[in-house]
Amino acid sequence: MSTGSASSRIKPITLIGGYLGAGKTTLINRLLSQPEVPAGTAVLVNDFGDINVDESLIRSDSHNGTIIGLSNGCICCSISDDLSQALDQLNTLPIAQVILETSGVAEPARVWQHCHYPGFSPKAIVAVVDAANYHQRSQDKYVGPLVKSQTAQADLLVVSKIELNSCFQLDSLTPQLTNRDTKLFETILGWQRNGAQGAYESSAPLLPIFSAQTWYQDSPISRDSIEASLTALDSSVQRIKGWIETEAGVMQVDKVGSSLSIKPLKHHTKPRVLGLVFIFHVDPNTDSQNNPLTGWALAKTAS
Amino acid sequence: MLTLFKAQSIITMNPSMPRASAVLVRDDMILEVGEPEHMQPWLEDQEYTVDEQFADKIICPGFIDPHLHPSMAAVLLPMEFITAMRWKLPWGDIEPVTTAEAFDDRMQALNQAKAPGEPLFIWGYHQLWHGRMGKTRLHQVSEKRPIIVWHRSFHELYMNDAAMSMAGIDPAQIRPGMQIDIEQGHFFEVGLGFAINRLNPWILAPERYATGLQRLKQVVHHGGHTSIGDLATGLFNFDTEAQALAEQLEGDDVPFRTRLVVHGTRLTQGGRKPEEGPAMAEALLSHNSHRLSFARHIKLFSDGAFFSQLAQMQEPGYIDGHHGEWLAAPEELERHIRAYWQAGYQIHVHVTGDLGLELTLDILQKMQDEKPRFNHGFTFEHFGFSTPEQIRRIKALGAQVSANVYYLHELSDSYAKSGIGYERASQMARIGSCFAAGINTTIHSDFTMAPAEPLNSMWVAVTRQNHAGDVMGSTERLTQQQALEAITINAAHTIGLADITGSLRAGKRADFTVLNQDPLTCDPSTLRDIEIAATVFEGRVFPIE
Repeated sequence: MSTGSASSRIKPITLIGGYLGAGKTTLINRLLSQPEVPAGTAVLVNDFGDINVDESLIRSDSHNGTIIGLSNGCICCSISDDLSQALDQLNTLPIAQVILETSGVAEPARVWQHCHYPGFSPKAIVAVVDAANYHQRSQDKYVGPLVKSQTAQADLLVVSKIELNSCFQLDSLTPQLTNRDTKLFETILGWQRNGAQGAYESSAPLLPIFSAQTWYQDSPISRDSIEASLTALDSSVQRIKGWIETEAGVMQVDKVGSSLSIKPLKHHTKPRVLGLVFIFHVDPNTDSQNNPLTGWALAKTAS
Repeated sequence: MLTLFKAQSIITMNPSMPRASAVLVRDDMILEVGEPEHMQPWLEDQEYTVDEQFADKIICPGFIDPHLHPSMAAVLLPMEFITAMRWKLPWGDIEPVTTAEAFDDRMQALNQAKAPGEPLFIWGYHQLWHGRMGKTRLHQVSEKRPIIVWHRSFHELYMNDAAMSMAGIDPAQIRPGMQIDIEQGHFFEVGLGFAINRLNPWILAPERYATGLQRLKQVVHHGGHTSIGDLATGLFNFDTEAQALAEQLEGDDVPFRTRLVVHGTRLTQGGRKPEEGPAMAEALLSHNSHRLSFARHIKLFSDGAFFSQLAQMQEPGYIDGHHGEWLAAPEELERHIRAYWQAGYQIHVHVTGDLGLELTLDILQKMQDEKPRFNHGFTFEHFGFSTPEQIRRIKALGAQVSANVYYLHELSDSYAKSGIGYERASQMARIGSCFAAGINTTIHSDFTMAPAEPLNSMWVAVTRQNHAGDVMGSTERLTQQQALEAITINAAHTIGLADITGSLRAGKRADFTVLNQDPLTCDPSTLRDIEIAATVFEGRVFPIE
C-alpha cells in the first residue's frame, strides 16, 4: 500500500468550481499552457474528454489511462468519480500542488471538506462565473440554489465570457477577476483563503501569495475622502472593487492597477451590501498577516 | 418430454384466465395453463409425467426484481449483518438488533465464532438504534482481531487498531479537520474512500468477490425470483464485472436470468460523447448468453441518494434547509436522454426527490415534443417522492414507475420527524395513485438498499406499515392483486421480458414461484412470512430448503 512516501509535504489544493459550461475547462486549458505554471503542478479533472491539452505538451509513453504527463513537468489526472483514489495515486508522485476541477454540480464547500485528505490540504476555492448566463441560471428552478451557492462559497471569482456581456455585475463583495486582468493565472495559483495557510506550512511558498480583504461600509462617507484614502494605498494592492454610499449617492468603485474610477451607480437598485474588496499581493518572505490595509485610514472606522 | 404440474391453485396473472389448477410444460416452455381435462389433446401420443409435488401449494409466475445491483451485493454479502431491520438470508434469518447492548452481544458472538486472526467485517450499524460507535467499543470486543463496522448507509465505517494496522493506516498521517476521527477509528465521506482504498485487498479479493456473487445467487433464489434486472451494469468496472457475472450467473445451476441495463454515463466516460453511447450499447448485445442479456435499455441518473437525504426536493424542501444534489447537471442528463431517446432506447432514470422527478418529466416532455414515441417504456426508478400532479404527467407522457417501496418501511418515521415532515414522508412511494392512473408500476429492492424479498416488498406495498408500526398514507396501499402484479407481470414489462415471463400462459417460459399459502387471499399482514417451497426456472425445479 502506498502511503505517500514520494513526498511527505502537505500539498495545497486549489479548487476550480462553477456550473457546467461556466468555463472551468477553458480556464484550466489556458492555465496549463502558461509559462508561470510551476513544474510539479497536478491538475485533477473530471474527465479527460473535455480537457484539450496541446498534443505537443504530452510526453509520449506517459498516458496510463488516468494520468497524462506533460512536457512542462505538470501532470493531468482524471478523477472518474473517486477523489480519494485520485489523491492516493497523486500521493505517490513528486508533485507540489494540485488544481482540482470540481464537477459542475458540486458544492465547492463540500469538496473543500474532501480536500482535508492525508497528504493534502485545501488552499482556496476559485469559482468561474459565466457573465453570459449567470443571472438566468441563478434563477433556474433546478440549479438556481446550486449556482448561487457555488459563487457564495468561493474565495475568488473569475468572471468568464465578459465579452458577451460587458456590463455584467455580480452583487457580491467576493473578490472578482476577469480574463482581462493581467496576472490572472498568477493570482489564481497564488490565492489563499484567509486562515488556510497554517495547514501546509511545511510547504515552501510556490508563488507569490495573493489575498483579499473586504471592508464593509456602515455609514456614508464623502467622495473626496474615499478617493484620497484609496489613492494613498500601497502599490501591492492590485485591485479594488465595490460600492460605497457618499453624499452624492451610491458610487461604484473600480481600481485596476493605478487607474481608479469612482462613478455614480447607474443601476436603479442599490446593492445588497456596501463596501469594498481589496485584492493584494503578500510578500511570502515577510509575515503574511502583514497586509497593506492594516494602516489604511478607513480601516480604523470599520467595525 | 412433457410435465404436467398440478397445484392447489395456480395464479396466472393472465387476466383472461386468472386461476387454474394445472400447467403443462415441455422442456422450458408452457404448453397450456388450465384444467387437466382440457390438456388431453397435448397428451395423446406423447410421453408425459404428472408432477404432484406442488399439489398442495400455490404456483405463481416467477417473481421478478426489476432493479438490484449484483456487483454491490457481492461486496456486501460476505460481511456479517447486524441490522435494526429483519433480513431473511438463505444462511439464516437476521433478527432485528435494536439496542446498543444487543449490538455488542452480537459482535462478541461473531468474534467468538470466527477463526483467530480472520478480520471481522460487519454491516448494518445505525446510531439511531445502536448508539454511538467508536474504537473503544470495538476494543471491548477484541483488540487483536481486525474489526470493521460498516454503517447501514455505506457512507461511513469504524475500525479498531488491529484493522487499521492490517490496512496499513498510520494514525500519525491523520490530522484534525479530515473526515477521519482517528481517535474513534471513524472514517466518513472522503475519509471513507481513504479507508476503502486500503481495505480493497480484502473487500475486492477475487475469491471473496466470487463468494459474494455465489451468495447473491442464493439470495436471489431464496427470495423466489426467476428474473432480475441489474440496473447499472458497469457500476464499478465494466470488464471485470461482466466477466465475473458471466462466470457466476450463467450455467445450469443458476435458477434465474438477469437483464443487464448499462450504466449510461459510465459507458461513455473517458472522453466519449453521449451521442456515441447508443452504438456502444448496441455492441454489447453480441455478448448476450442464455441467462445474461442486454437489450436496448439504458440507465441514467437524476438526483442524489435517498438514504442520505440528498434527493432534490421541491419547495418547501427539507426542514433543516439543506439541499439535495444533482448526480449530473440537468443539461448533461438531457443530452444523454436525447441520445438514447432518438436511438429508440428504453430509458431508466434514477429519480428520488420530487424535484428530480419534475426535471426528468420536463426532459421527457421535451423529448416527446421533439420526437413523439409510443410504448417507449421510459421508467422512473426508485420514485421516492412525488406529487399527485406528477402522477398525471407520468401517465400523460406514457412513462412507467419502478418504486423502492421499502423506503416507506424503513425511513418514513425518521423522515417525518427529521427530514421533510409527516405529510410528504407518509406519501413516499405514491404507488396506489400510479395503479389508479393506469401506469405500469412495479416495485424493487435496489438490493442491498432493501431486502431482496419480493414478498416483503409486497407486504410493505399492501400494508404501508413502517418499522414503528404506523400505517403511512393508507390510501396509497395496493391490493394484494396489484402488489402481485407489481412483482411479476409489471416488472417483466419494465425490464423488457414480458414476452417470455411475468405471467403463466401458453408460450411463455415455465418460470414459477411456488408458495405454501395463497398471497391473494391470505391475511395481508402475513404476506412477508409466506414460505417459498421452490422456484421453477425454465421448467426445472429448484427447491428451497
